Amino acid sequence: MKKSKKLIALLLAAVMLFALAACNNEETPGTGDEVGTTAGSATDTYTIGICQFVQHDALDAATKGFQDYLTEQLGDRVEFSYQNASGEKTNCTTIVSQFVASNVDLIMANATDALVAAAAATEDIPILGTSITDYATALQIDNWTGTTGMNISGTADLAPLDQQAAMIKELCPDAKEVGILYCSAESNSKYQADVVAEELQKLGLTSTVYTFVDTNDVQQVTQTAVDNSDVVYIPTDNTAASNTEAINNVAEAAGVPIIAGEEGICKGCGIATLSISYYDLGRKTGEMAYDILVNGADPATMPIEYSDGLTKKAVTERCEALNITVPEGYEAIVLEDETAAQ
Amino acid sequence: MVLEFLQSLPSPIAQGMIWGIMAIGVFITFRVLDLADLTVDGSIATGGAVLVVLTTSGWNIWLALFVAFLAGCAAGLVTGVLHTAFGIPAILAGILTQLSLYSINLRIMGGRANTPISHRKYDLIVSSNENLLPQTILTAAIFIVVIIAILYWFFGTEMGHSIRATGANEAMARANGINTSSRKIFGLVLSNGIVAVSGGLLAQFSANADINMGRGAIVIGLAAVIIGEVIFGKIFKNFALKLFACVIGGVIYYIVIAIVLKIGLNTNDLKLFSALVVAVFLGVPYWKNQLSGKRSSKKDKQPKEGKADA
Amino acid sequence: MLEITNLSKTFNPGTINEKVALSNVNLTLQDGDFVTVIGGNGAGKSTLLNMISGVYSADSGSIVVDGINVTNKPEHKRAKYFGRVFQDPMTGTAANMEIAENLALAARRGKRRTLRMGVTSKEKAHYKELLKTLGLGLEDRLTSKVGLLSGGQRQALTLLMATLQKPKLLLLDEHTAALDPKTSAKVLALSDKIIKDEHLTAMMVTHNMNDAINYGNRLIMMHEGRIILDISGEEKKKLTVEALLHKFEEISGSEFANDRALLS
Repeated sequence: MKKSKKLIALLLAAVMLFALAACNNEETPGTGDEVGTTAGSATDTYTIGICQFVQHDALDAATKGFQDYLTEQLGDRVEFSYQNASGEKTNCTTIVSQFVASNVDLIMANATDALVAAAAATEDIPILGTSITDYATALQIDNWTGTTGMNISGTADLAPLDQQAAMIKELCPDAKEVGILYCSAESNSKYQADVVAEELQKLGLTSTVYTFVDTNDVQQVTQTAVDNSDVVYIPTDNTAASNTEAINNVAEAAGVPIIAGEEGICKGCGIATLSISYYDLGRKTGEMAYDILVNGADPATMPIEYSDGLTKKAVTERCEALNITVPEGYEAIVLEDETAAQ
Repeated sequence: MVLEFLQSLPSPIAQGMIWGIMAIGVFITFRVLDLADLTVDGSIATGGAVLVVLTTSGWNIWLALFVAFLAGCAAGLVTGVLHTAFGIPAILAGILTQLSLYSINLRIMGGRANTPISHRKYDLIVSSNENLLPQTILTAAIFIVVIIAILYWFFGTEMGHSIRATGANEAMARANGINTSSRKIFGLVLSNGIVAVSGGLLAQFSANADINMGRGAIVIGLAAVIIGEVIFGKIFKNFALKLFACVIGGVIYYIVIAIVLKIGLNTNDLKLFSALVVAVFLGVPYWKNQLSGKRSSKKDKQPKEGKADA
Repeated sequence: MLEITNLSKTFNPGTINEKVALSNVNLTLQDGDFVTVIGGNGAGKSTLLNMISGVYSADSGSIVVDGINVTNKPEHKRAKYFGRVFQDPMTGTAANMEIAENLALAARRGKRRTLRMGVTSKEKAHYKELLKTLGLGLEDRLTSKVGLLSGGQRQALTLLMATLQKPKLLLLDEHTAALDPKTSAKVLALSDKIIKDEHLTAMMVTHNMNDAINYGNRLIMMHEGRIILDISGEEKKKLTVEALLHKFEEISGSEFANDRALLS
């Protein structure tokens, strides 16, 4: 009787594991991220561990760009071990420790939490970050010179914040009070908000920060923000990205324009954005990986690279509704056309 | 693949040990006091936040860890007072404290959701760095031994007995002159202090303190407690060994997570998986009692009809 | 020894469930009194004991023990004056603690709990001797969890715990009601022996009229929150169940509403 209880418990645990495995098998083929080919050619083959923090369009695109570039260059001489931490910081640590234990040739850390975990885990294996907003903060580097001085380099996803601040002024010349809206649980957002606030001050605008804790209070906080601002700015914020519908409902009713830090949010609730392509960012990270693996470049001296494909984009439909004239040089974002995103 | 996996085990083991310390804290409220305390989701992050903020501003890391402990104690005190002095049910009191800790933790970290602490810059007590892992496991083991030794001694004292009695039978405790309110508060303080220490270590291990690091912590803590009980419940009768079982439960939990990640299961389902493990391990003993009716009646409260025998 | 003056208690006042449990109860106990308390269902017997021990607070009136007014003291602060045994054998002991630990807890009733050992080896030896006097074989099970004991064993243990530190007043609240007749008689005899040996002052609530008559030197009967009968001395010794029932009907003007009391 006593033994059978333990047995039942173990059996149940096993059944759950298999159930999970079954679920997984149904879902993964679509993503196609788990490439697992082994090389047979004469030259070196490389194993790259990819730790992505969370399932997210932008991050997925970066991973894809990274893999695409390297596959183009190295063919089957590169093998990817892709693992996703599902938004759980502690999983990043576990994933990265497995990469370190199997001694991969390079770790690609997609998003800040993955980078922090990788940086903690190893000082020897080269690490490339991507979709990172601020390397200096993530790695605690005081005198930032553009390189990390350690086994780490990578690409940053920051669209220049001064240009974003300028865009607010450009599109809403009459605005005086800017509301900055983001989720208090995302440290990247705070960094961007701080910089943008500073830039806005230089431009003679005042700004106020409005933060929500999670999905539940997005609506109320947005309401407060639009009630007290002439224009609202939302940085690259994952929680905001998931709640654009709710934000849009509030902002549209109030007739307050929103300038967004990235395209996804802009499409959902904004009028304009300065957009970068995460796919290109991923490809650029891939180039850096190639440099390290094949040419023996040292990540410690490789400067952090930024996206060069900056595009000003505006949502024509919303601009018209708000009587905002879009100046020259803006690419139009057409709503209800999801497939055109990539 | 198997060999690689074995080589990667030290990291989940170390992580599991640190969570095991947290599970010891959970054990005090959940098993000794018979309270489900949800404060821990907040106090673990408080511990991490305090440690990282103090250490990065130049404090000695051990002193910072001690302050983290005190901060966790304070969180437990708030829950305890809400529960006993204001009559708020323990679960709700814990939720209230946990909720308020979100704001407090943000304030501790200066409004930032995430504060990094790198082993390259600070002399950390524990770290997930490959070269520091053996040291980390040893240090975690020392923490565990010391904490268990102190708790074993404490729960054998008059004071400790009175806390155990409060959890076992409040009416009896009061009839024997024990102030059950103060004992509950004390238990919550102690538990959250230990949880915060675990949070302080965890932040070092994962190289940053994060506002969300405690989300779902109670489930992991309970999972560790329950896995430990299911596996060792029949062998470990001694109080110290029971605490030790919590730690092993934590280690097993993280090894399972590592396996799940390694074989490429969808990590989206991890939370569901954790919740299921806890639900099943909590539920199985209950069903067993229900099914073997006679044996269970001895353990459960005797129904009033029992009088009819007289 | 115990002076209760005008003690009243109403549960759920102002609601549809309002119930007057005690109304203006006055009772004085002398040192060494062993009072049995009887009465129908809901007469207020258990409420009276719970009010004395502080489980419920008083609406009005006062409770004075040995010159100390305890009316407004919380339950755990009053505990040092009272030893208590409850109806439910589960209530008096901590099931998942050892027998020795339970006794040690009781031994410290009313004392400061410090960081000294919870049970010393000297105490254990003492408890072993005490448990031997129960004749239940518990002396060899000092480290057993109390949850493993039978209801009768637990009540005997609780009795021992209640008197380990001599209480000013021992409160027995139908403490044999949940036991089978044989065990019940055993526990009752044990209670009587301890009360006599230790010269304790005691109150015992019971449903059983025979027990109420056979034990103690004084008997009070309650009805609707009042004491309607108080017999002691020679008069009590001469009491019979029939006489008692007759008296009850005479005073209360109703039938004694308790099947079990009649049957036993």
